[in-house]
Amino acid sequence: MTDFAQSYSFIETNKPSRISTARARLMIAVLLFFAAFLVMIARTIELGFSAPQPRVVTSGLRAVVPPVEVARADIVDRNGDILATNLETSSLYADATAIKNPTMAAQKLVSILPDLSFAEVEAKLSSGKRFIWLKRKLTPRQKWQVNALGIPAFQFQREEERLYPQGRLAAHVLGYVDVDGNGLGGVEHFFDASLVSKNKTGEPLKLSLDMRVQYALADELESAMNAYQAIGAAGLVMNVNSGEVLGMVSLPNYDPNNLRGVADEALFNRVTQGVYELGSTFKTFTFAAALDNGIVDMTDGYDASKPLRVARFTIKDDHPKNRYLTLPEIFTYSSNIGTAQMALDLGADKQQAFLSSLGMMQPANIELTEVGAPLYPTTWRKSSIMTISYGHGIAVSPLQLASGIAAMVNGGRLHPATLVHNPDAWQNGKQVISPATSRQIRQLLRLAVRKGTGKRGEAIGYRVGGKTGTAEKAVAGGYKRKSLISSFVGVYPMDDPQYVVFALLDEPKGTKETYGFASGGWVAAPVVRNVILRTAPLLGVAPENEDEGLYQKLALMIEK
Amino acid sequence: MRKYVTTFAAITAIASGVAVLQLKATVQNKTDEIRALVNGIHDDKEAIRVLEAEWAYQSSPHTLQENSIRFLALMPPKANQILSTASVIPLRPEGIKVDSEDSVLLPASYSSDAEKNDRGDEKKTTKKPRQGVGL
Repeated sequence: MTDFAQSYSFIETNKPSRISTARARLMIAVLLFFAAFLVMIARTIELGFSAPQPRVVTSGLRAVVPPVEVARADIVDRNGDILATNLETSSLYADATAIKNPTMAAQKLVSILPDLSFAEVEAKLSSGKRFIWLKRKLTPRQKWQVNALGIPAFQFQREEERLYPQGRLAAHVLGYVDVDGNGLGGVEHFFDASLVSKNKTGEPLKLSLDMRVQYALADELESAMNAYQAIGAAGLVMNVNSGEVLGMVSLPNYDPNNLRGVADEALFNRVTQGVYELGSTFKTFTFAAALDNGIVDMTDGYDASKPLRVARFTIKDDHPKNRYLTLPEIFTYSSNIGTAQMALDLGADKQQAFLSSLGMMQPANIELTEVGAPLYPTTWRKSSIMTISYGHGIAVSPLQLASGIAAMVNGGRLHPATLVHNPDAWQNGKQVISPATSRQIRQLLRLAVRKGTGKRGEAIGYRVGGKTGTAEKAVAGGYKRKSLISSFVGVYPMDDPQYVVFALLDEPKGTKETYGFASGGWVAAPVVRNVILRTAPLLGVAPENEDEGLYQKLALMIEK
Repeated sequence: MRKYVTTFAAITAIASGVAVLQLKATVQNKTDEIRALVNGIHDDKEAIRVLEAEWAYQSSPHTLQENSIRFLALMPPKANQILSTASVIPLRPEGIKVDSEDSVLLPASYSSDAEKNDRGDEKKTTKKPRQGVGL
């Protein structure tokens, strides 16, 4: 018994100490847990009673919608209408190693895409290559039909297609892109780099064009071109106070969506690339130079009773009056004899300097790569002075002429022509003639329409001023009598010029309605008139009764 | 006492766990929802680009002119149909504006109504005019 008690005495002696240790440890753990829960409860209560904190939104918490990324930025007109945009499309390629029966696959594919050659497709599918292009840029319907064939070797790659929703309209301004989307013409080529970089910002390229004006101009030019069987036409509408081009049309044109089989002639931009002897419209510059340099004033005149002979040329009038003509009569009746004599009084140096200041001696400065260089004689002889005074012997682009005319009427400031919308464009420019001379030129241009060769350019209510131009086409060794470049440059409204409208027809033929005539006054002036009548309400130019007092003094100097 | 504490702690721990899991699931659902919305917005933006191109094509001047010729009898406006200012439009003449001072003579009904409105007096009784005393 005692042994037993002795042998088990350690239980009684050791047990309480172990239990108390375990209990102590457990209590510490429980206390720690309690402390933690108390902290959590306290924090929860504190959060419950505290005022709501302003939520700081970080980019990590905000849902960011990735922008639609396209390879090229859009091009829009001044009103935001889309002229060029990139849309997603699919291109078809094949893995030839996965095709068991190339002949059957080629047959099926050609039945869906008939423009593909069966032999070519079969050769490609038999080549055993892992990647071969079959057709780029399929329509959604074609893609669906190819998928419906159920041939796993046919696969698609996402690509983008440049689309021109306005079709042929403004084709020469916009230009076109190749199959890989690189700009090859027009503003697509000129702004190629910036269009590619702008796509990241989603910012479109905004042009100065107004599609409503562009369409009216194209429609009227096309009608005239068909009516007079001309081989080509060109037209331009420009803001005289800023140099912004609102419409630029060259015919024949092309569809930038489909360049297959387009002739080079259609790609040629007659407004900027074509240089022409523009005839009597150039008299405006001769008059401005002579008046601005003080060589003549409005009361002067020249004898136009007989033709002038210089070197091997004989200078004659198209509308001869065979008498002494006052300055307003020379301009109104478009007398070559009077203008040539005035140019002789002006002199070669001043004539050259003046034309150079208007930018007639260097290529036009505009956002296009298709710009033609003007043609003029290397040595400025006496005959050159006389012929250039009325627009022969110098060839410039219609754009250069329109810019020059704009400077003549807007108070004498030459603004560089631009195709990009710029609200501050009116601030650019340099003074080339005095405002007083500009006012005189405005009067002359208005009288040329009211009483002279440009009567068919009159748009009632819009006070149009303008000048006709008819020039025979130059060929090797002389001129072709029957091949004319007929043009008319109009400005409106003449009491506060806003827009210059230019129309040119290349080799027009006279009709019964024009009594066989094909001069600028007969064929091009009506185009300008119709364009003004169609576009003036769109451009916010109100028709008004004319202040006769503006031209009365000069009008009295013009006899029938 | 110890049992209760242990039970309370266990229940609290389980409840907290369940709440945290539920919260995580909710957050996950919301994240998926946001992702779906973002994808939807992106797809819509791409569709809008296509629609804008389609609209530009459908509303091009050439198409509009063709449709106008087919369905409407509209012609380009002549210069004499366009007015430069709205002031020359012969609008319907307005009524004559009357000075609202008390001294201005007005029809009896109008003046009494006007006086009531001016005074804010809504009583229907009218003040009797002073009577002369009969001698």
